[in-house]
Amino acid sequence: MRRAAFALPLLAGLLAAPARADLVYVLNSGDAFITVLDSTTREEVRRIPVLREVHHLLLTPDRTELVIGDSVANELIFLDPATAEVTRRERISNPYHLEYSPDGRHLVITSLRRDQVDIYDAATRTLQARLRVPDKPSHLAFSPDGRLVYVTLQGARRLMAIDLAQGRPVWTAEVGRQPAGVIWHRGRLLVGIMGADHIAVVDPLDGKVERTIPVGRGAHTVFAAPDGRALYATSRVDSRLTVLDPETLEVRARWDLPGGPDCIAFDPEGRLWVTLRWVARVAVVDPATGAAETIPVGRSPHGIFVQPRREPLPPVPVAATTPTDAAPPVAEVTAAPVSPPPLAAAPLDASPVVPAATPAPEPGQAPWWRRSLGR
Amino acid sequence: MLQDWYAAATGWLFEHVLQPALYALGLMDWAEDLYGWLDFALFGLFGIAVVYAVCRPLEAWRPVERRADRRAVRTDMVYTFLSRLGILPLLAFVLLASLQSRWEGWLTEAGIMPPTLEELFPPLREHALLALLVYVVVLDFGEYWRHRAQHGFRWWWALHAIHHSQRQMTFWTDDRNHVLDDVLAALWFGGLALLIGVPPGQFPLILLLLRLGESLSHANVRLSYGRIGERLLVSPRFHRLHHGLLSAGATGKNYAVLLPVWDWIFGTADFRRGQFPPTGVPGIEPAMESGGWLRQQWAGFRRLATTLAGRA
Repeated sequence: MRRAAFALPLLAGLLAAPARADLVYVLNSGDAFITVLDSTTREEVRRIPVLREVHHLLLTPDRTELVIGDSVANELIFLDPATAEVTRRERISNPYHLEYSPDGRHLVITSLRRDQVDIYDAATRTLQARLRVPDKPSHLAFSPDGRLVYVTLQGARRLMAIDLAQGRPVWTAEVGRQPAGVIWHRGRLLVGIMGADHIAVVDPLDGKVERTIPVGRGAHTVFAAPDGRALYATSRVDSRLTVLDPETLEVRARWDLPGGPDCIAFDPEGRLWVTLRWVARVAVVDPATGAAETIPVGRSPHGIFVQPRREPLPPVPVAATTPTDAAPPVAEVTAAPVSPPPLAAAPLDASPVVPAATPAPEPGQAPWWRRSLGR
Repeated sequence: MLQDWYAAATGWLFEHVLQPALYALGLMDWAEDLYGWLDFALFGLFGIAVVYAVCRPLEAWRPVERRADRRAVRTDMVYTFLSRLGILPLLAFVLLASLQSRWEGWLTEAGIMPPTLEELFPPLREHALLALLVYVVVLDFGEYWRHRAQHGFRWWWALHAIHHSQRQMTFWTDDRNHVLDDVLAALWFGGLALLIGVPPGQFPLILLLLRLGESLSHANVRLSYGRIGERLLVSPRFHRLHHGLLSAGATGKNYAVLLPVWDWIFGTADFRRGQFPPTGVPGIEPAMESGGWLRQQWAGFRRLATTLAGRA
């Protein structure tokens, strides 16, 4: 009896503990779909078809929409992150990596395959400037005042600083073989040098490499924990996560993570969700111990995002999987003026909304040809 | 389960063999492309296994002719392994991807963005299988015209004659092509695939489907698909007529690779059933017909040079 009296408040406490059903969006760049996982059950709860290759994603400045770039299809996909429903699609030139400027006024997009960096007005997606740059512009980051955007040029061993207002380069500097990710961190730029084993610490004034932090071969990019207490660097060749002290940039821990770790997102409990490019999985990593478990997703998962949520996503009614007339109205986006010619705008128009996310197929319900060939 | 196994196996191969090599060569910016190529190579190997499992029993069951010259068949096997491991498609894809970036960069600067097939036909967006079939039809149409060009241009026929000079045609003969002819084919096919925007993940599968059909059509088997079937899919009988002695060069018939409908539409079809003529090119030099791989390649280069110089 005494035990029961003891156990009841405990049970009540457990029941009262906040339930979590965060949605984890995984962009499968080698498969034509986005996987949406429930963070608690680890089950795929939605599968959103895309046309070609999705790589990176971000929230709009007002945090109401998730914007996903389908690079080869020349398309931006807008999603309601709370429901995983596609709200609209817009034509835009080859969106690979994309970020909003800190003041929310500009959207900058790198076009890895076309050697272009595009600066758009964030609200209207009107092209303001298009820069033809050296080989393979990859990731980008802003200065906190939003005056400059820094772009890694993967095939040219360089980092480029571009003045947003004037739409032209300020400096270009050699930083190492195949620079990939770049972030602004406490007055410095941290650049993942993928053709080497280190993060380059770069002076944002002139692009000079001040020092290097060894993290493992194939150093890709760095992500800051939301509480600011750690930096995490991914290395794709050594397949490793390196924990860095944000103050000193000293290495605190090294965790092996087989499969080619690439992008990281953090859930509300502080766990790391890491895409593993070469094994079609994402890893969930405990930040206290580095212990990881993995979950199967599509081929070559790249960008990842966690949307906090309490309730599990409701099942999708069958009708929602087919096009209906009740689709939300198409956003009006007008073509940008083509002036002057070298910076001519890509024609922007909005395409009709096609059905929202489809429910995740039950095991064995994948298309026959993929099932039979293991794709 | 199978999907997981495939991902784990390709992941291991990439992480432990290919990626370290790329890193050592300073080519890490090509990592994604090489990862994509793994599918080509593995699908190529898988394709050889499937083709063998299907065609070999058929050839044993009802051969058109007895295999008199096994050495000639072995040469065709060399061609198959060289071709299907995907080295040439990879090179073509990498080369075309670079060309495409320049081309598309120029187009977007001129204010033009080529639409995808799904934009032109929105229902394809939600029906991956239907989209796949449309891609196959479009690419097969492209292959029909490439084949017409191989026979129509004298310089191209100088190379393509290697393919036709085999007198012991079997399912291995499909890949018996001059390397230059292969390069042209890869550029043509890869270029068309990029132009219509085939999703990269589907490209190896489309290639696999086309190759399966092509190998079967070369098989040494007395097989016709019947009155209707002959008009739907290229059969061993339909294609053997194309390889017949009287069908060499510009006088050819039955150019289709997978779907005979193109021959039907463009007036080059020969649907005479029950016809299984001997194959080869009358008067062709022995090196082209029965030489080893290297001799045939050299003879092809020589013939091409002679043709271009206007002496043939």
